[in-house]
Amino acid sequence: MDNTLYVGLSRQMVLKREMDIIANNIANADTTGFKFESLMTKEVPGPPAFTQGGPRPIKFVGADGVARDFTQGGLRRTDAPLDLAIEGPGFFKVNTKAGERYTRDGRFRTDDTGRITTQAGDVLADEGGGEITIDITKPGEISISPDGVVSQGSERVGKVGVFQFASLSALEKTGDNLYQNASNQAATAAPDSKIRQGMLESSNVNPISQITRMIEVNRAYEQVTQMISAEADLSRNSVARLGRLQ
Amino acid sequence: MQALRTAATGMAAQQMNVEVISNNIANMNTVGFKKQRAEFQDLLYQTLVQAGAQSSDQGTIVPTGVQIGAGVKTGSVYRINTQGAMTATGNKLDLAINGRGFFQILTPAGVNAYTRAGNFSVNDQGQLVTQDGYLVQPAISIPQDATEVSISPTGQVQVTQAGATTPSVVGQLELASFMNEGGLSAQGGNLFLETGASGAPTTGTPGQAGFGQLMQGYTEASNVDPVTEITALIVAQRAYEMNSKVISTADNMLGVANQVKS
Repeated sequence: MDNTLYVGLSRQMVLKREMDIIANNIANADTTGFKFESLMTKEVPGPPAFTQGGPRPIKFVGADGVARDFTQGGLRRTDAPLDLAIEGPGFFKVNTKAGERYTRDGRFRTDDTGRITTQAGDVLADEGGGEITIDITKPGEISISPDGVVSQGSERVGKVGVFQFASLSALEKTGDNLYQNASNQAATAAPDSKIRQGMLESSNVNPISQITRMIEVNRAYEQVTQMISAEADLSRNSVARLGRLQ
Repeated sequence: MQALRTAATGMAAQQMNVEVISNNIANMNTVGFKKQRAEFQDLLYQTLVQAGAQSSDQGTIVPTGVQIGAGVKTGSVYRINTQGAMTATGNKLDLAINGRGFFQILTPAGVNAYTRAGNFSVNDQGQLVTQDGYLVQPAISIPQDATEVSISPTGQVQVTQAGATTPSVVGQLELASFMNEGGLSAQGGNLFLETGASGAPTTGTPGQAGFGQLMQGYTEASNVDPVTEITALIVAQRAYEMNSKVISTADNMLGVANQVKS
């Protein structure tokens, strides 16, 4: 009979983890370029705790992986010349102190030497992995074409690289809106994606579906608790009745 | 329970967002004010199952890992340095910069500060000063008997003195520009100071390559767009509510766990 308790417990642990993920989605509903996640679950067959007469094998539930939904987030206009959004698949590549990282967060600026960097100061890579430098002493506004060509006035100064991966699931989040390539697959250029200047990509979190899922998780958690309580009642009653028989 | 702490970071971030938006709205009519925006980043992830890890001797790998995020933080509050609209004031000493650049102001502390607010006056010695009485650099003195002050788009200050028929040049205004204007540190009073992030100032005459032109008799309005700000305020409030909903749900789950009979 302890099986009921343990199966229920495995369900509660998964629900609690799912609640953590939903909380993270909602907290990041306003984070530029954020992609929402959901928990995938799987059956975990295990030896029963108590074998007499019970079904075999017992199936517990476990976390299988986090699915990340990479659908396009909405674009919002900011009019800042170095705010860039990617329309289509792909990532910007930035060179951080810890190595190459990929991001959909296109809030760039120039640093004190004129290089295009993220807000944290990590240098944006061009199509070949090099830097893009803007010389403000020269005339002309910065304009960035949909295919990523950066020009100042009429002069071309570089091309913003957009990179894509065959398998997105090998990317790992490292925080600060950055992804790390955790596998050995190589990033390739994303020719079909367009860069939109003066725009940012909002997160693709749908608040209504997240809140709905949160209510479901909450109720499912309550149900399992009910089940555990019922199970406890059952075992207490049976002990009491057995006692009366004797 | 992680969800409680995650939602708390969400509420803190939205609170910061509201503070930035309210400062923008409060400064809607401040001359030369540039709007700011709070931008968010996700926090560190706790990796429970590593994606790409070997799952057997046959070389199969775990296709997707399990990573639990810890919430959100304010990544940066950055200024959007777009041009504000020109407001005609008719005042001879009001100057607006149409394009890049900042006026240089000597603060009482003896360091140069930079501003886009060109609503200047003259002090008791005839020097061109800000509304706080700080000297505009390079110093310009307007003679007491000047009947007419004219400032050209390129920053040349000419005055016509009583009795004279032709104007005479009394000074040349200069502007400063920075590699990274967003890196300037705001000091209040519409003034900015240079920082390591902004880079050293480059000075030049207005209208020169990389510098805007001056417009006499105009001030630059703030670039705050009230409709955008109010919309952002509504979004921030709803996001705050959603995060508080997460906290009450997580609290409820903990409460349920505590009611389990043993």
